Amino acid sequence: MMIKLNYSPLAGLFWCVLVFLLLTSSCKQAPAGKKNTSAKTGSAEIKYAKGFTIDYYDSYKLISIYSGIGTQRDTAQYVLLPAGAKAPEGYQKAQLIRIPVKKLVAMASTHVAQADFAGVASKIVGLGSFKYITSPVVRKNIAAGKVKDVGVDGTMNDEVLISMRPGLVIVMGNPDASLSKYETLSTAGVPVMLNSEWLETTPLGRAEWVKVMAALTNTEKLVNAKFDVIEKEYKRLAEIGRSAKSKPSIISGMPFKGIWNVPDGDSYMAEFFRDAGVSYKWINVKGKGSLPLNFETVAPEALKADFWLNPGYVDSKNDIQALDGRYADFKPFKSGNIFNFNKKVNDLGSNDYWESGAVNPQLILGDLIKILHPELLPDHQLVYYKQLN
Amino acid sequence: MNKIKILVLLSLLVIAFLLDVALGSVHIPVKEVIKVLFTPDSVNESWIYIVEKIRLPKALTAIIVGCGLSVSGLQMQTLFRNPLAGPSVLGITAGASLGVALVMLSAGSIASLYTIKELGISGSWLIIIASSLGAALIMVIIVSISSSLKDNVIVLIVGVMIGNITLSIISIWQYFSSPELIKDYLMWTFGSLGGVTGNQLLILATVVFAGLVISFLSSKLLDALLLGDNYARSMGLTVQRARLLIVLSTSVLAGGITAFCGPIGFIGIAVPHLARALFNTSNHRILIPACCLVGTVLMLICDIVAQLPGSQTVLPINVITALVGSPVVIWIIAGPTKLRGF
Amino acid sequence: MAVKQPLLHTTGLTIGYRSGKNPAKVIAGPLNLDLYAGQLICLLGPNGCGKSTLLRTVSGLQQAVGGSIELEGKNLAKLKPAGIARLISLVLTDNVRSGNLDVYSLISLGRYPYSGWLGILSQQDKEAIDRAITATDTAAFLGRKLDSLSDGECQKVMLARAMAQDTPLIILDEPTAHLDLPSRIQLMRLLHQLAKDTNKAILISTHELDLALQVADQIWLMSSGGNLAAGLPEELVLNGSFQQAFDKDGIDFDINTGTFHIHTSGRKSISVAGDGPAAFWTRKALTRIGYALSPGEDTEEQVLVTEIEGVASWTYKKGDLTLSFDQLKELLTVL
Repeated sequence: MMIKLNYSPLAGLFWCVLVFLLLTSSCKQAPAGKKNTSAKTGSAEIKYAKGFTIDYYDSYKLISIYSGIGTQRDTAQYVLLPAGAKAPEGYQKAQLIRIPVKKLVAMASTHVAQADFAGVASKIVGLGSFKYITSPVVRKNIAAGKVKDVGVDGTMNDEVLISMRPGLVIVMGNPDASLSKYETLSTAGVPVMLNSEWLETTPLGRAEWVKVMAALTNTEKLVNAKFDVIEKEYKRLAEIGRSAKSKPSIISGMPFKGIWNVPDGDSYMAEFFRDAGVSYKWINVKGKGSLPLNFETVAPEALKADFWLNPGYVDSKNDIQALDGRYADFKPFKSGNIFNFNKKVNDLGSNDYWESGAVNPQLILGDLIKILHPELLPDHQLVYYKQLN
Repeated sequence: MNKIKILVLLSLLVIAFLLDVALGSVHIPVKEVIKVLFTPDSVNESWIYIVEKIRLPKALTAIIVGCGLSVSGLQMQTLFRNPLAGPSVLGITAGASLGVALVMLSAGSIASLYTIKELGISGSWLIIIASSLGAALIMVIIVSISSSLKDNVIVLIVGVMIGNITLSIISIWQYFSSPELIKDYLMWTFGSLGGVTGNQLLILATVVFAGLVISFLSSKLLDALLLGDNYARSMGLTVQRARLLIVLSTSVLAGGITAFCGPIGFIGIAVPHLARALFNTSNHRILIPACCLVGTVLMLICDIVAQLPGSQTVLPINVITALVGSPVVIWIIAGPTKLRGF
Repeated sequence: MAVKQPLLHTTGLTIGYRSGKNPAKVIAGPLNLDLYAGQLICLLGPNGCGKSTLLRTVSGLQQAVGGSIELEGKNLAKLKPAGIARLISLVLTDNVRSGNLDVYSLISLGRYPYSGWLGILSQQDKEAIDRAITATDTAAFLGRKLDSLSDGECQKVMLARAMAQDTPLIILDEPTAHLDLPSRIQLMRLLHQLAKDTNKAILISTHELDLALQVADQIWLMSSGGNLAAGLPEELVLNGSFQQAFDKDGIDFDINTGTFHIHTSGRKSISVAGDGPAAFWTRKALTRIGYALSPGEDTEEQVLVTEIEGVASWTYKKGDLTLSFDQLKELLTVL
C-alpha cells in the first residue's frame, strides 16, 4: 500500500502514518447505524422475509436490504425521512427517501401489488410497461393519463423520470445490479430502491415485503393488520396440506430443447409444495432454486406423476402437444390433471399471478390444496390456477 | 483398401449409434436397450419411453446433422477453394440464425413464439424456410465477394466479418426483446440435438435428404470446380448455374439443420478433411458418401460425450463439437502440408 | 488442291474490356484470323499487347467487344459452354496445385464433356485418357499428387488433361513460363509433334522467340498498337514484320541470323574469313568486343580462321603485321 518515493525513510514513515490514519478513520464509519444522533426506538417485526430489516429511530426509519446469500451479503441502506427534516449523520452511503412517498414509480408487477395492498396504488405515476398491469386503480389512472411509461429496466428513460420528480423509483434488483447503475437518477434527486423479494425462498417471506411499502407510505398499521390475516390463513391451510393423508406425485415446469429446469428444494415453489402436501422427487435437493436436468431424467417421473403443475406459457392440452408430441404420453396429460397459474389473465394478456399473487400466498396455497386434495377444501374456488383442457 | 475403410467406418457407425442410444442420464442396461429396439414389450415402461422417444430421435438427429453439415462444408471448401471454409466459419449458420431470429423475435411477445409452434407443421416449415433463406443470403454475398477477390484468406476473413455483422444485428434485436424470448434464443444458440421430434424430425430428414441428393448429383461439377472457374468453364460447365446449385443445396442443408438444432460448428470444416485424408481422393462421388459416414460417426461420438453419461444434465452440443473440431482445424493448418490442399 | 476449312475463323474481331456502362476499352483489332488443323500457331508479342485477352476471347472465356468468331463454321457466341468444350481445350497459367488432386484424376477431368452425369468414365473415356498419357509421356507420375511435381512435369500433366478432352483445338497460355530451358525445348518439341501426329491445331502464346521461329507453322505477331500480322515465321521475318513489331522498344532484329542484336554496331571494322563453327564463333566474339564485321576483305584488320581435323588456328593481319594463334583467347588479348 505504501507508495515508493525517493525520499528519506522519515518521509516514508510519515506517509505510512497518514495512510494508516485515513484507513482507520474510514473504518470507524463502517458499522451502520451506530453513530448517529437519534435514538433507536424499535424494529419492525419481520417473521419470514430474510431480505430486509426495518429499524425505527426518533426522527427517521432505516430500511436495510440484503442481497446475496451468506458471506456475500451486500447491504443497501435507505433512510426514510419526513419532508423538511434534516438527514441524520453517518449515512453517507444510504439513499435518502422522503416519506410518505407521494409519487411512486414501480418497475415490477410485485411492487404494484404491494402498493395496492397498502392502499396506495393511486400514488403510482410511472410504470416500466403498460402491458403487464392488473390493478384496477392503476389501470384507471393510466386511462386518465396520470401514469407515464418510463421504459423497461435497463432502458429506462432517465429524462422522463427526472422531469416527473417522483418520490421513489422501485426497481427489481438482480445479482449484477447495484445502485451505481442508477447514479444519474440519484444525483438528480430521484431516489431509487432495489428490492429483492424474488430472492425469498418462502411464499410468506415474499409477501412480507409489503411491510417495506408500508414503511415508505406510513401505512404500517393497515399493512401489518392485513398481513396478519394473510399469515394466519396461510398457516391454517399449510396445516391442512401437510397433514393430508395422501401425497400425490407432481412434476413442475416445461422442458426446452432437451433441458427440463425443475424447482429444487431451496426454491419458493418447493415451499408451496411442502405446504400443499405432495410427493416431489427433488423436494429435498439443495440448490440455487432450479435444477437443469436432462429431459430423460425427468421423463420417468412425468410418465407416472399424478399432476403436472406450472407447465409454462401454454393454455391448453393442444398447446402442450404442439410443443412436443411426446408430452402426450405423460400420465397427467392422459388423465387431464394439468394445472397452470394462468387463470387470472386480463384483456392485456397480463397474468395477475405475478401481481396480486405475490402478496396473496394464501390464495395460491388454497388453489394448490384444492387441486391436489379437492376433498380437503370443498368450498374453495380456484383463483390463479386453472385446469388445462 | 477402400472397402476395408468403409467396413470399419460402418462398424464404428453401428457401435456409436448403439452407444448413443444406450448411454444417458438414466442408467439402462444395454441388454434392455436392445430389447427395446427389437422386442419392446418385456421392458419397463419408462425405459421404453426414454429409449424410443428420447434417445432414438436424438441419435437419428445426430446422423442427419452429421451428414448434412459435413457435406455442406465439403461443397463450400470446393466452391471457395478454401480449406477453412465451412458453414459456421463463413457466417452461413449466422445467416440461418438471423432467419430464425426473424421468426422467433419478430412480434416481440411470447405469444408469437408459441403460436408458431402451435402451427405445428406449417410453423416448422416457416422456420426452415426463413433459416435457409438467411443462409442463402449470406452465401450469395460471400460468393459474389469471392469472385472478385482472388485471395482465399481474404475471403475467409470477409466471411468471418459478415458472420459478426449478422450476429450483431441479432444482438440488437435481442436487446429490445423480452427476457423470456432472449433466454429462449440463447438456449437455441447452444445447439441441441434433443429438441427435434415427431413431425419436425420427419421434415428435417426430408430436407436434409433432398439436400444430400442434390449434392451427390452435383459431384461432377464439384470435381470440375476444383480447377477453378476458368478451367471449369472450358470443360463445359456453366459456372454461374453450378454455383447457384451448390449455394442452393448448401443453404438448404446448413439452413435446415440450423433451424431445428441451432448453429452447430466445426463439423462442417473438420469432417471433409478427415474424409479426404482417409480415402485419399478428391473425387466428390466418393467424398460425399465418405463425409456422410465420417460425419455421422463423429456427431454420434460428440453426442455421447455431451450426454456426460450418468450425470443428470447434458452439455450443449456446440461445446463438444468445438472441442473435437478445433484440434482437427489446427492440424489442417499447422500439420503436414499435404493435407492443406487449396 | 482442296481448300481446307479453317478450324477457327475471325471476322473483324475486336478484343478488350467492358466495365459496367462505360464504353468498351479496345485493346486490339479488328482482327481477321484463320487457324487450320495440324498446325502449331505461336502468338508472339510484347507484354501487355493483349495476347492473353485474345486467347481468352477466342476460347469463349471472355466476351469479344466486336466482330465474330467461328469454330468449325459455328458462331462462338451462340455456342453453349458444353459445345465449346468439345472444340477447345485449354492450358492456362491458373494455379491448380492445390486441391489434393492426383495426376490421374486431373487428367481424367479432361473427359468432363463426355463422361456420364456422375462423372463415371466409360471404356472410351479411359482409352482417351491413356492416349493422352502416352502422348505426353506422363505415365510415370500417375499416382502422385500435383504438388509433388516439378513445374515441367506439371505442365505436361495439364497438357495431358487438355488432350484427354479430345478437342480439335488446344490453346495454351504461356506454357513455357517458369520452365527451365530443357523443359521448354521439350515442351515446344512435344507440341509441334502433337500437332502433326494428331492433326490438332495448337495455339500457344509465348515469349520464346527462338523456339517459336523454329517450331511454329504459323506465327501471329501482335504489336502494342493492337495490330496483328499473321503468316509463316519466315515470311514475317523477311517482310519486315518482325522488325516492326519490336522496333518500338528499340530492339534490333537481325534477319540474317534470326536473332536480336544485343550489341550495338562496333566502331572498328574487321573482316573474318573462314567457314565452320570456329569462324562463326570467332565472328560472334569479335562483335562482342566491339567490332563491326565487314563482308569484304578491304579492312585494315583481317582474321583468317582455319580448321584442320577439328583443330582451329587463327591468323591475324594488320598492315604488315601477321600473327598466328592456337587459341581464340590469345587473339582477343592482342586486339
